[in-house]
Formats: sequence, C-alpha cells, structure tokens
Amino acid sequence: MELDCRGMRCPLPIIKLATALKESEEVILLSDDPATLPDLSAWARMTGNFYEVVGTNKYFVKRL
Amino acid sequence: MGSVTGNFQSETPLHPAASAFLTEAFDRGWASPDKRHAESQKVAILLNEAKESLAGHLGLRREQLEILSDPAIGYHLGISGLLREGSRLLYPAISRSEVFAIAEGVPAEKLETDSRGVAQSPVGEFEDVLAWQSANAETGTIAPTPDTFAGRIFVDATASGALLPLPNRWSTALWSSRAWQGPAGVSIFAIGDRAIWRNALPHFDQRISSSDFSVPLTIASAIALDAFTADYKERRSEIRALNHEIRDFLHNEIGDVDIAGGIDATLPHLLSFSFLYIDAEILMNELDRRGFAVDSGSACNSANMEPSHVLAAMGLLTHGNIRIALHNEVNRNEVIEFLKTLQVLIAEMRA
Repeated sequence: MELDCRGMRCPLPIIKLATALKESEEVILLSDDPATLPDLSAWARMTGNFYEVVGTNKYFVKRL
Repeated sequence: MGSVTGNFQSETPLHPAASAFLTEAFDRGWASPDKRHAESQKVAILLNEAKESLAGHLGLRREQLEILSDPAIGYHLGISGLLREGSRLLYPAISRSEVFAIAEGVPAEKLETDSRGVAQSPVGEFEDVLAWQSANAETGTIAPTPDTFAGRIFVDATASGALLPLPNRWSTALWSSRAWQGPAGVSIFAIGDRAIWRNALPHFDQRISSSDFSVPLTIASAIALDAFTADYKERRSEIRALNHEIRDFLHNEIGDVDIAGGIDATLPHLLSFSFLYIDAEILMNELDRRGFAVDSGSACNSANMEPSHVLAAMGLLTHGNIRIALHNEVNRNEVIEFLKTLQVLIAEMRA
C-alpha cells in the first residue's frame, strides 16, 4: 500500500501511517515533512515496528 | 487553585528578592563605576560586592568573572577566544544554535549524541576546543564531565546555572542570569586562564567586552542567585519527587509518551516529553486556554518550522512535544491539576 503524505505537516504523516498499518501490514510512505525521518525512527522504537528509508522522502514501513 | 501560577515555561518572573531590591538598585547604582566621583566610587563598591557574590556561587575567583549583557556575545568570546591556527571546534549535536553558528565559520566536528543526550567523549588534540554543555536547556540532560579531552574547554552553563559545578578542567565559561530567576540582559562570562585566551572581537583596550552592561541589573542578578540557591536547597528533594510523579503519571496514566533522559541524569526542574500522534500546537493552545503555559520543541512552535535539533539528535519523538520547568514556586496541587488536564486533552485528541 502506498500512502502519499507529501505536503502534510507533523504529526499528520505518522497519524495517517498508524491508521494505514491497521489495514495493511506493509506501507510505502511518501512524506516531505522535515520531522518525518526523526519521528519515524522514534515511532518505530516506541511501537516496536520497522521502517527503512528507500528513497528521497520515501519510506518502507512494516508492522511487526 | 489559590497560589497556582500555571507557569511551566522556562522563563520565570524575576525572583521576588531581586524584584524587591530593583528600585533601590536603580536608585543607588545609576552612576558609572569607572569614574572618579564619590557617587561612582560607591557604585564601584556595590558592583564589586555583586561580583564577589556571583563568583562565590559559581565557583570562580572574582578576577575570572566578567559581566556581559548578551549571552550571544559570550558564546563568541568564549569559543572563538580559544581557537588557534589548526584548532578544530568539537561540539555536541545538542549544542545551542549560537555554537552551530560559530562552527559554520571554522574547522569543526559535530559530536553525535545518544538518546540520553550524551555526546561521544572526544579526546581531541591539544589545540582543539570543545564546546561542552553542562546541561541541556531543552531536555535538562546532564553531560558527563569532559575529563578525557586534551584541548581547551568552553563550558556552556546557561541552562545549569549554579546547580552544577564547573568541571575540573575548563578554559572559559558562560552563564545566563535567567537560570536563577535573575533579570534578562545579564550574563556571566569567565576566563579560567588569561594566558590561553585572546579577544576575538573587535576591541580597543584591555576590556573583555566593549559592550556596556547594567550595574543595577547585575546587582539584582547577584541577589536573585543568592535567594534562588537558598530556595533550591530547601525545595530540591520536593521538586525531584514531583519530577518522579510526573514521569510515572505520563507513563502509566497517559502512555505512548517519549520522555527525554532518565531522572538521575537530568536537572530535576526540567522535563521534556513527546506524545505520539499529538499535534503540539493544538495541545499548547488548549493548555494555554486552561491557564497552563508550557514550551515545545515541535516544528509547529519553531520559527523555521523545523523540529528541535536537540530532540532529533537524541532520537526522540519531535511531534507532540511539551517542555516544562518546575520553578521553586511550583506546588504539587498545580502539578496534579496540570497532569489531569493533560490526560483529558490527550485522550480527546487521540480519539
């Protein structure tokens, strides 16, 4: 599933991501908000999920 | 709620003891201490007493201490004054923006910081300069002393004030009067050894800074530091217990919260925490409407819409961030009131 959050500001991309992960186990997240990278890393640590940077403003996220 | 101030911001009102003396300070300290008139000589004595008192609390000798109006000048004097040909400036990723600004113009290395706010412990070369922060203003995290560093050390004590001692080895140091409920516009700069420091700012005589400072405000700052230290001594364990209680409440009653640093490695009166899935701007506004003033390191609260570089460097959640200071005046009732308000707001916003 691809989730396009470009143009959105924090914490919207992370909120949308959490909702999307309820439906799909894997999500490709597109986000150009400068807070997304540090927040994804903190979110993954806090919730025990996995993420990886796969391109510019592009992240692969997997529910664990 | 009676004595509830609702003020959990880092900015505090002037200490009542300093405030009470302010009119008199302006009355008695108006003359320039550098002139020969009798009135000037009286002011020189007052200023000297204030400096003695400040130096005593900060662990300095009187002659090491200089008064500056603006702390930003102090960063430049303290760091640039130690740099030499071939020097590198080493600075933790959680340093103040003033340090980042200086680092842009010189050979420099940013030290990565872990989640406790602890930077890699550098060894450096003899001619290198470390901009060491005794405690971080945003998160309150206390840094281990830079004992292994071979070069010169600038100490940024603007957040810790007189609460933490200087490290065994230091070359220059900077404090802001705001850290002890003193007036804004007074900072204290110290040079440990004049032989290794040179004035990197344009200057025309032997004075450290050609910028003027206010004698009455310096006296008020000395009074504030004296009173603040006494208050803090009395309330320290109480404030620490409140800090503990807040941490427990955030974890157990609210949840999905990222708290910066452990209680044993942070200043007890500072606390920074981030709530998952929460917009800090909305939360701050809602808290404000209910009479609680707090700070935030989230992007929405910054001028450039970028999240706090401190939170990002420590790997902490940057959205939904709230930063509070537990002032000496704070009481438990108001903290409980604040936490309950927070709990209701977070539940509503997450729903």
